[in-house]
Amino acid sequence: MQPTQRRIISLVILIFGFAWIFVSADKSGESTFGKIPAPQQGFLAPDFELKTLTGETTKLSDLRGQAVLVNLWATWCPPCRAEMQTIETIYQEYKDRGFTVLAVNMTYQDTPLDIMPFVHEHGLTFPILLDETGEMANAYQLKSLPSSFFINREGIINEVVIGGPMAEALLRTRIEEILR
Amino acid sequence: MSNIISLFRTLFAPPRHLILLLAALWVGLYLSEKRVERHSISQDALNNIVYYGILGYVIGGRVLFVLANLSVFIRSPLSIFSFNLDLFDPLGALFTGLLAVTAYARRQKLLLWSTLDALTPLFAAIAVGLALSHLAAGTAFGSPTTLPWGIELWNATRHPTQIYELIAALLAFGFIWFRKTDSPIDSDFLLFAALMAGARLFLEAFRGDSTLIFGGIRLAQVIAWMVLAIVLFASESIHRVERID
Repeated sequence: MQPTQRRIISLVILIFGFAWIFVSADKSGESTFGKIPAPQQGFLAPDFELKTLTGETTKLSDLRGQAVLVNLWATWCPPCRAEMQTIETIYQEYKDRGFTVLAVNMTYQDTPLDIMPFVHEHGLTFPILLDETGEMANAYQLKSLPSSFFINREGIINEVVIGGPMAEALLRTRIEEILR
Repeated sequence: MSNIISLFRTLFAPPRHLILLLAALWVGLYLSEKRVERHSISQDALNNIVYYGILGYVIGGRVLFVLANLSVFIRSPLSIFSFNLDLFDPLGALFTGLLAVTAYARRQKLLLWSTLDALTPLFAAIAVGLALSHLAAGTAFGSPTTLPWGIELWNATRHPTQIYELIAALLAFGFIWFRKTDSPIDSDFLLFAALMAGARLFLEAFRGDSTLIFGGIRLAQVIAWMVLAIVLFASESIHRVERID
């Protein structure tokens, strides 16, 4: 190819590329982030209403204005067991700054009689919610246990951590972010 | 088709999607080794450069994350050695990885373009692996669409941007692997960089997670256009030097 031909082709590519940037600009001025509820970073956290161990009902959207860690767990899951004590320590440390934990037990695939002894054994003081039908797990597209969703004060998922156990530093860095 | 994608996403759901990246790394290194004799670099040097790059990436990513969150790690120092992959600074890791590679290349007096050309099959394989891992994790997702080939993802029918990305990466790989040229000025690396920058410039338009700057302009497209301009300029400079010689 002649040098002049090559230069012209390069120039044409760059001009078309530059024009494409403006033609394909998102006129709405915002990406699809946050518009629809989905269990993914940047989206609005799907709402749920579940019963606690004490029989009360807790709704995620009622906690808007607080930073929330939604942790999906089961008693038979070793990494879930391993991270519960750390979550409790962190909860005690941050709860006065507008942070809460919703530990949602996957009751539909757990042994309900094992839940209360587990909570006492680990001295857990944050709300334990029961997903008896699997509806919440379905809305959060659960694929592995534990799964943790860090939700900021506006109800947007800031971070998703699949698997565990989560290190103390990981919990602290993510909680500091959602409290901002 | 949607059943296959769904099965794939279940099979390689995070954190298993990282297997795809590791497999791409392994395949890419194997392919780069197969072509190493075409470039002025030994197989040992190629393996070492990848090894130091990975070491710099992994260690640097964790160290920089710790330094950025020092107050947190002072309270729980054992977390420094945690297996949590999220305790990582990916951009910093890229920088330290490149630093390690540059230090090794300078020490061994490796030629820049030959080394980059020898590594191009590896880069191309990683691009394929990255697209597959995006598909598995549902990241780098598309904007909502009514087109018949849209996929159900994050509660909407979306452009399958991960599949667009995969097709672009496979085409770039095929183009690099099967082209017939022995000319030293036709750099594999520059061609690959131009193809990938062009693909990103075009495909970013269909993404639903773009970072927008003024007027709804997508930041990734601006960066891709700049990369494309630099690559075309570098290619032109190499041709000019070749003509003068």
